Amino acid sequence: MDSPCREEWGLSDYTQDDVYLVNRAQEGYFDAYQELASRYAVRMYRTALRLLSNHEDAQDVAQDASINAWRRLEHFRGQSAYSTWLYRIVTRLALNKLQRDKPVDSLELLPDLPSADDSPPENLERHEVIDAVTDAVAALPIPQRVVVVLHHFEGLSYAEVAAITGSSVPAVRSHLFRARRSLTYTLREWR
Amino acid sequence: MSEAKSAERSRDILRVLTVACGRSVDQLLEQVADGHADELDSHQADCVHCQAALSELNSLWSPVVEFAKQPVQAPPGLVDNVMDRIYALAQDVWYTLQLSDIGAVKIAARVVGRLARDTARTVPGVRAALGRTSQGRIVQLVEAATRRHRHPHAAVGVLGRTAVVDIAVAVRYGEDVHEVAAEVQQRVIARLRHDVGLQLVNVNVTVDDVVI
Repeated sequence: MDSPCREEWGLSDYTQDDVYLVNRAQEGYFDAYQELASRYAVRMYRTALRLLSNHEDAQDVAQDASINAWRRLEHFRGQSAYSTWLYRIVTRLALNKLQRDKPVDSLELLPDLPSADDSPPENLERHEVIDAVTDAVAALPIPQRVVVVLHHFEGLSYAEVAAITGSSVPAVRSHLFRARRSLTYTLREWR
Repeated sequence: MSEAKSAERSRDILRVLTVACGRSVDQLLEQVADGHADELDSHQADCVHCQAALSELNSLWSPVVEFAKQPVQAPPGLVDNVMDRIYALAQDVWYTLQLSDIGAVKIAARVVGRLARDTARTVPGVRAALGRTSQGRIVQLVEAATRRHRHPHAAVGVLGRTAVVDIAVAVRYGEDVHEVAAEVQQRVIARLRHDVGLQLVNVNVTVDDVVI
């Protein structure tokens, strides 16, 4: 699926450049890594923000994800796109934060993960619709929230979401089916 | 249609698995959510049930579309904070430029690397340049260079006024690669001698890409 968001942010345009920069960063060129960090800062922060619904937590997670990526860079073998690898790191850190620092060993989209409907957003200045969607997304069970954020807000394909979450395309689709029903039902008064 | 009737209709479509023609509500909602509500297949083109459902679901999904369009800016300083922490984590190498009884003036090797990179980018034909200092080589040179005249204020890892800089450059297609590389060396050496005061500067240029 290619959403307007994906085209707007030019995800695919970065791929070839990323390989060059990642190779140089692995050789110790700090400015190559700085370019990568700059390139993905918005996406890391936005993903964390939409998973956590909290600016400060999202900022912390985005920073930690970027630093963790640098620490693990020597282990990145290019088997996936660099962006996919980064999304996996930031998603894992955000989920750890959501679960109050309890470690998440796997992002496998298990149905028994607890709901996080007790973490309301704090930003009161946004438009009411935006607040309503934020609430509705935050009320989704964590596996559904993750796939909605990655697919509908970050514009990633089912296959990319499956790779990031360590799941399968059918599982991602199944969670999306349920998430969309929940969101549309919750937001029916806001259209 | 009244709001109450509209809300009731929304609840209805979200309560059923299929519309009257048998098409899956989930798949119609997927079509809408992925931005393909207007791309009707041959069945949908003739099916009033599908068309009504797509229209209704499109309306229901609209708040999410609006949300997704909201621009999000990265917090100011996020990348700077990241790089500061990374630099702190990395073992730094320092060039000592002046030593006296009151202390030492030092410049981080990464500053030298950055100056070299920025200078290399001024050379015509260079499309991208990345600079680094050769840490491993520096450590070896440090021991040799400071063995006989190590100053009390100079910590191990200090290399006086000598720099070894590696620069990777991407050269524009059609340029004379040797000329561009030589110009990079000359400009970087001049810049580091003039701006930083380094005396012995070795600049290794690696042309590792040609871009159009």
